[in-house]
Parts: sequence; structure tokens; C-alpha cells
Amino acid sequence: MDITTRTVGHDVAVVTVVGKLNIVSSASLRQVVASAVAAGRLRIVVDLNAVDFIDSSGLGAMISGLKTARNAGGDLKITGAGDQVKLVLQLTNMERVLVSADSVDLAYADA
Amino acid sequence: MPKAREYSLWIETPPGDVNLIHELLVGVWENSPEVPIEERFRFETALIELASNVIRHATSSNGVSCVLRVLSTQGYLQAELRDTADPGDVQLDGRVMPDGMAESGRGIPVIQSLVDELEYSQDDGHNLWRITRRFTS
Repeated sequence: MDITTRTVGHDVAVVTVVGKLNIVSSASLRQVVASAVAAGRLRIVVDLNAVDFIDSSGLGAMISGLKTARNAGGDLKITGAGDQVKLVLQLTNMERVLVSADSVDLAYADA
Repeated sequence: MPKAREYSLWIETPPGDVNLIHELLVGVWENSPEVPIEERFRFETALIELASNVIRHATSSNGVSCVLRVLSTQGYLQAELRDTADPGDVQLDGRVMPDGMAESGRGIPVIQSLVDELEYSQDDGHNLWRITRRFTS
């Protein structure tokens, strides 16, 4: 799995994940989001377009990131969930917790 | 009628991890094109959750050995995982999905929502886990 981060505007971090978000890779996502928030990028978008698999440890990493961002006055949204990711979000009732944006650009367009 | 196919994998963790199972399943799906895509999602997710649960109980000083067997036949997927992790307190009954802001505790409820059967037993000092999914293709 690869994770890259880019900054949009002054406080939005787009975290792009490529590959499988499982027990092997979820710790990296936690660290990347925590680092972005610590650096003052309080609004996080996790781009899942290139994620073909997620499990509960991946969900846990995103919940951790959501808490970290909100505790700092920010937020975390997701975008680009594929069919497997949608299935897991639905089964775990996480669709309302992890808010999905239609695109990276639209995630904080109303803010 | 597609013929039954059986696959097996031995994992020593650490350093082995669940990515070895993802790699095994690539071959399973290539040989079983009749399995619908949603059933592949369901079975792979359940199996990775199960293996992650086992691996999570490995310690740095005392790794875990797992033998995985996957069976694919018409309308039927099954995985059996035999491992050497400490048995711990395995509770399968009455498990519910945790609160939305919980960062852990979803593994077993997710498995139970994805497959028809999740079974656990102890056999000759090993943990024996089995998941079964039946479907119409």
C-alpha cells in the first residue's frame, strides 16, 4: 500500500491511499493523518479511489483520524469508495460517521 | 458444473501477514470465475478479518503459525484456519457491532454479517476457525 499527502489551500490535506487498507497498512494511515493535523492541516480528505480492499482495521484508522481531526477543530471525509469499501461501510453502519464526498474538490467546497 | 478446488497456505507470523492470503485469493478467483464479485468481496473480507484476529494475538517473542485451507465449489466457499495462538477468551455469541466512533471491536461482528457460518473449536492444542458462505451463482 502507498499513501501520499498533498495540501490544498491552507488547511486541507488530501490523503491518497493506493492498495489494500488492512491490518498491515492501517497504522501508516493513522500516522499520516495525525501528522497532517499536527502540521495544522485540520481538514482531511481520504481519497479511496485506488483502494480495492478495506477491513475493520482500516475503518479503525479512519475513525482514529476523524477523532484526531475533530479534536483539533477540523474534520475528516472520504471520497472514491469502491464497491468493497461501500459494502464494509454499510455492514458496519459507518456511512453516516465517515461522510463521503463526491470528489476531493467537493469535500470542503461549502466550507 | 465447476469442479471443487482446494487451496492451502502456511503462514508463520511474524514476518508473514494477511497480504499472503490476498495473494492466494487472486488465484482462487482466477480459477473460479463463476463466483459473483459480491461473493468474492464477502468471503475475502471475512477471511482477512479472521486471519487478522489471529495474527493480532501473535507476540514478538512468540509468533503464530497458521495453516489455511480454502475450498471453492459450486455455490460454496469455505476457509479453515488452524493456528497456534493462545486460545484466549473466544466469544462468538451475542456479538454486536460497536458504536460508530469505536476504533476496534468490529472484526467478529463483520465476519458474522458476511458469511453463513463462523465456527470456532480447539483441536489438539490448536485453534480451529471455519467460515462458510453459500450463494447462488
